[in-house]
Amino acid sequence: MNKLILGRYIAGDSLIHRLDPRAKLVLSFYFVGIIFMANNWQSFSMLLIFTLGCILASKISLSFFLKGVRPLIWLIIFTVALQMLFSSGGQMYWHWGIFKISEFGVTNGLYIFCRFILIIFMSTLLTLSTAPLQLADAIESLLKPLKAIKFPVYEIALMLSIALRFVPTLMDETAKIMNAQRARGVNFGQGSLIKQMQSIIPLLIPLFVSSFNRAEDLAIAMESRGYQGGEGRTKYRVLKWQTTDTMAFVLFAVVTVALVYLKN
Amino acid sequence: MKTNNKTYHMSILALFIAIVIVQNFVPLFGYIPVGPLSITTIHITVIVAALVLGWKDGAFVGGVWGLITFIRAFVSPTSPIAPIVFTNPIVSIVPRILIGIVTAVVFYFIYKWWKNKTLAMVIASVLGSLVNTVLVLGLIYLLYHGQAANFYKVDMGQLLPYIMGLVVTNGVPEMILAGVVAPLIAAPLQKLVRKN
Repeated sequence: MNKLILGRYIAGDSLIHRLDPRAKLVLSFYFVGIIFMANNWQSFSMLLIFTLGCILASKISLSFFLKGVRPLIWLIIFTVALQMLFSSGGQMYWHWGIFKISEFGVTNGLYIFCRFILIIFMSTLLTLSTAPLQLADAIESLLKPLKAIKFPVYEIALMLSIALRFVPTLMDETAKIMNAQRARGVNFGQGSLIKQMQSIIPLLIPLFVSSFNRAEDLAIAMESRGYQGGEGRTKYRVLKWQTTDTMAFVLFAVVTVALVYLKN
Repeated sequence: MKTNNKTYHMSILALFIAIVIVQNFVPLFGYIPVGPLSITTIHITVIVAALVLGWKDGAFVGGVWGLITFIRAFVSPTSPIAPIVFTNPIVSIVPRILIGIVTAVVFYFIYKWWKNKTLAMVIASVLGSLVNTVLVLGLIYLLYHGQAANFYKVDMGQLLPYIMGLVVTNGVPEMILAGVVAPLIAAPLQKLVRKN
C-alpha cells in the first residue's frame, strides 16, 4: 500500500525539504507549464540537467524517481509509439497503410518521452519532499485571496486536511474489507466483467457505511474540542517565507529566460 | 449526541474526498481492468454523494474527481488517452461536476412525480453516468475535431475515431454499473444521514 503518490513523503533536511511548501507547489506547476515551451534538444537537455540538479539538492536517491516512472513505462511507450506512427512531415522512413514513420514523428516522439520524464520527476520531487499536510497548508494559504469572493477557503482547506488524514485509514479499511470478502469467496480482479462488477458491491457498501459512521464520530470529536468554523483559528504549523524561497523563484526565472533563448 | 450540522456536513464531505482519493490510488478498487479497457467505479461515489447529500455536494465531489483526473493526466495517467484528452480542464473537470448536478436534479424531480424512490435512483444514476460519457465524447469531438493543437501535439485527425470508440466502450459498462450499484449503496445511506 506504500506505492501510491500521496504519503510517499520521505523525511529529510535538505535544501528542497526546507523550502516553503507554497513555493514548491507554485514552482512545480510553473515548471510543468514551461516544459511545453521546449522544442529542441538544447532546451530539453537544459531542463533535464536542471531537474537532475534539483533531485541532487533534495538528497533523495534517484531510484525513488525511477520507481515513479516504472508503473507508467508502458503507457509512455504506447503514447510515444502512437505519436511516431501517426504523425507525418519531414523525411519519410517507413510506410504501411495508415502507419508511417517520419523524421518529424521520431523527433516528436522523443520530445514527448522527455516531457513525460521531466513532469514525472518534478512532481515526484514535490510529493517526496513535501508532507501531504504541508501541501494542504500551502493550498489554503494560496487560496486565501479567494475569500474576497466568499469562497469558503478555511472549510475547503480543513476538508482537504481531513481527507488526507483519512486516506491511509480508509486504505487499511479497504484492504480489511477486501480480505473479509475474499474469505467469503469473492474473487477480485478475476472473472467476467459482470462478475467483477458484482464483486465491487460488497466492497463499496461497507466502506461507505463505515465512512458515514466515522464522519459522525469526527464531527462529535471536533465539536467537543470547540471547533466553530475557520474564523480566528490559530495554526500549529505556521508557514514562513524565507530568502531561499525567493531565491528559488529567481532561479526559475533564470531557467525560463535560458529556455526562451535556447528554444527555436 | 446532537452535533452542529455544518461540522457533520464538512466531515462527511471530507470522507467522500478521501474515498475518491483512495479509489484513485488502490488498484482493483477505483478501476476495473477488463482487457485493454479500464472501467472506473469512481463515478459511483460521485452519484452516491449526489443522491445522499444533494446537488451541491455531488458537484463538489465530482469536481474533486475531475481535479484529480486533470492532475493525474500530467503526472501519472490512467490510460493512454488520458494525457491526450484530460490535460484539458474543460474535458476532465466539467463533465464530472455535471454528474453530481444531473443525478441530484433528476432524482429530485422523478421522485416528486412518481413517488418511487428505487426507480428514481436508478434513472438518476444512469443519467448521471451517461452525462459524463456524452460530455467527454462531445467535448473531445468539439475541441479536437478541427485538428486543433492539443497538449502533446498528437495528430488527432486519424486518432479521433479510436478515442471515441474507447470512450463509448467504457461508457456502457460504467452506465450499467452506476444504475445497479449506486442505488444499492445510496438507499441505506439516505436513512443513515440526518436530514437538515
